[in-house]
Amino acid sequence: MRTTLSFLFAVLSALPALAVEKPEMLKLLAEIDDRQRNGGDYKALVYLEQKEKDKADVVREVLVYRRDADDKLMLLFTQPKSEEGKGILRLDKNLWTYDPGTGKWDRTTERERIGGTNTRRSDFDESRLAEEYEPSFGGEAKLGKFDTLVLDLKVKDGIDVAYPILKLWIDKDNHNILKRQEFALSGKLARTSYYPKWQKLFSESKNAELWFPGEIRIFDEIETSNSTLVLMKAVDLHSLDQNLFTKAWLESKSR
Amino acid sequence: MSIFDPILWLIALRSLLQHRVRTALLGAAVAVVTALLVSLAGIYVGMKETLLVSATTLMSGHVNVAGFYKSTQSSSAPVVTQYKQLREIVQKDVPELDYVVQRGRGWAKLISDTGSMQVGIGGIDVVNEPGFIKVVQLKSGSLEGLKRPDGLLLFEEQAKKLGVQVGDELTFSAATYKGTNNTIDVTVVAIAANIGMLSGWNTFMSDEGLRKLYQLNDETTGALQIYLKDIRQVKPVQERLRKSFAAAGFELMDADPRPFWTKFDSANRESWTGQKLDITNWEDETSFVQWFVTILTVVATTVIFVLTVIIGVGIMNVMWISIRERTREIGTLRAVGMQRTSVLAMFVTEGFLLGIIGTIIGVVTGALVSSALTSAHIVLPKGAQMVLMSEKLIVAPTLGWIVFAVVFITGSITLISLIPSLRAAQMKPVTAMSHVG
Repeated sequence: MRTTLSFLFAVLSALPALAVEKPEMLKLLAEIDDRQRNGGDYKALVYLEQKEKDKADVVREVLVYRRDADDKLMLLFTQPKSEEGKGILRLDKNLWTYDPGTGKWDRTTERERIGGTNTRRSDFDESRLAEEYEPSFGGEAKLGKFDTLVLDLKVKDGIDVAYPILKLWIDKDNHNILKRQEFALSGKLARTSYYPKWQKLFSESKNAELWFPGEIRIFDEIETSNSTLVLMKAVDLHSLDQNLFTKAWLESKSR
Repeated sequence: MSIFDPILWLIALRSLLQHRVRTALLGAAVAVVTALLVSLAGIYVGMKETLLVSATTLMSGHVNVAGFYKSTQSSSAPVVTQYKQLREIVQKDVPELDYVVQRGRGWAKLISDTGSMQVGIGGIDVVNEPGFIKVVQLKSGSLEGLKRPDGLLLFEEQAKKLGVQVGDELTFSAATYKGTNNTIDVTVVAIAANIGMLSGWNTFMSDEGLRKLYQLNDETTGALQIYLKDIRQVKPVQERLRKSFAAAGFELMDADPRPFWTKFDSANRESWTGQKLDITNWEDETSFVQWFVTILTVVATTVIFVLTVIIGVGIMNVMWISIRERTREIGTLRAVGMQRTSVLAMFVTEGFLLGIIGTIIGVVTGALVSSALTSAHIVLPKGAQMVLMSEKLIVAPTLGWIVFAVVFITGSITLISLIPSLRAAQMKPVTAMSHVG
């Protein structure tokens, strides 16, 4: 009897969780993207705390500007003093970095790290999961006290992203991402991010609520002693100046 | 009486011997300056040689065919596509060729259990790199291991910083040229002795491993490194290759004598896409450290110049004294028929003799000291290693520098001795003979 029960328990445990079909997963990703997308303008004050082995912790203050309708993005570093005036600007498909020390603009790829931290452009930009990745169901899991759906994402052919494989833990109740793992091309785990605090604001331009992570904790899984804490403060959805997303505007901030 | 008259030389020699102390002091001063010049030249030559060896082993051929490939305006990859076709052109158009190798180039973070560092990676096909095998001195492990796709060669200092030894595993983390993050796990298969400062940030792995990390195809590499039988042919070969590649339909970047990694910014700023070739030589690729050599040259030249002036002034003063002491003798010689030119030649010969004896003693001393210092394998402090680009002190004066030291210092002393000698030659016999004191 005891053997039969053990066998039954083993069989039941081995059964996969009720799989979520692909259209549902795509719908879920589209919903996640849509909740974080703002039709109009967006401004946020962001603090980045970078911890690295054998180095003093560095806190950076950055202003993030977005105009999602035109796919525009700009970052302006305001602290520490040594990085004040540095900026990142996306113009069309190019990402430009500006250093007021040299007065030079350099073109970089969209996948590069921001200001030497573990963050990337995609951490501050609108979410494009449905557009860039193909999902597959990874089961259900308990993350602390939260019940989550696990989705495995693989980049679509012809799309260039920083990490080609993702694993997402999505809160079953409110569909917020709680944990995100990013894998290198080799399949090695490169970065784990936790999203302990989601916040929402009513967006007039969208006529719906805009969700944003109030806090992101990013852990470098290759150089395990490195981590970055991202705090998003003072999110403002009012219209920004029309001429904001220009090289001239960014340069003027350091004059 | 001509300058070749033995009597003239005998008089000059006797005069020097008569004032032994003065001659010894001046001769010693000349010898010290000469020995210093020889030793400084030895350090300069050692530095140049170390730089040449380390540069052409670690990061450059005598001539390099490299460049950038831009799939979009904003992404410059330091790679050469169609390298096999380019290699054929090199083999056809460069009769001075010793051998040519293809090297992958990378810049990645190398992570161990205890530390990490940003390093350059050379993707190497170790079987086809005779120069590399000859120059790299292994402290542990074997170069055979570099045939494995995950084999990694580190230099001593890097291994120490990362806290690893042969057999330990590390991870390379880099972005592919499309910007996607990638990693490769590698195993230390060999640890080599440091080769100057350049070995501080260069590592080597198999070409296959590097291709995997950067997702390169078989037709693409970092650079073709061309080694010539005679390094003096670098410039003409460089010029010829530019013409050959242009004629074969390849686009070329403007000639720019800087290392390839300083050209990312300009390549990124330019709006072209596709492949452009860049032909550089080993001096271009090491121009960022050449300023050390220039500074040392300037410092050494200044020191030698100042010392030569000091010695020159000393010799001039001593000759003034000598002429004053021998004024009556000059008067007598002039009275018995010695010409002004002969008086001039007599004193110039004295200066020349002093110079040649002093410099010969100096070059012998300098060469012996240089040889002893090099043989002692003195390990330099870290700061000095950076400046001299070598882990150990190498002082290797060449024959050319030794001849230069003798000719330059003896010539300077002889020229300086002309001034008091002219004064002596201009004396009237009567005045000179009646001179008292």
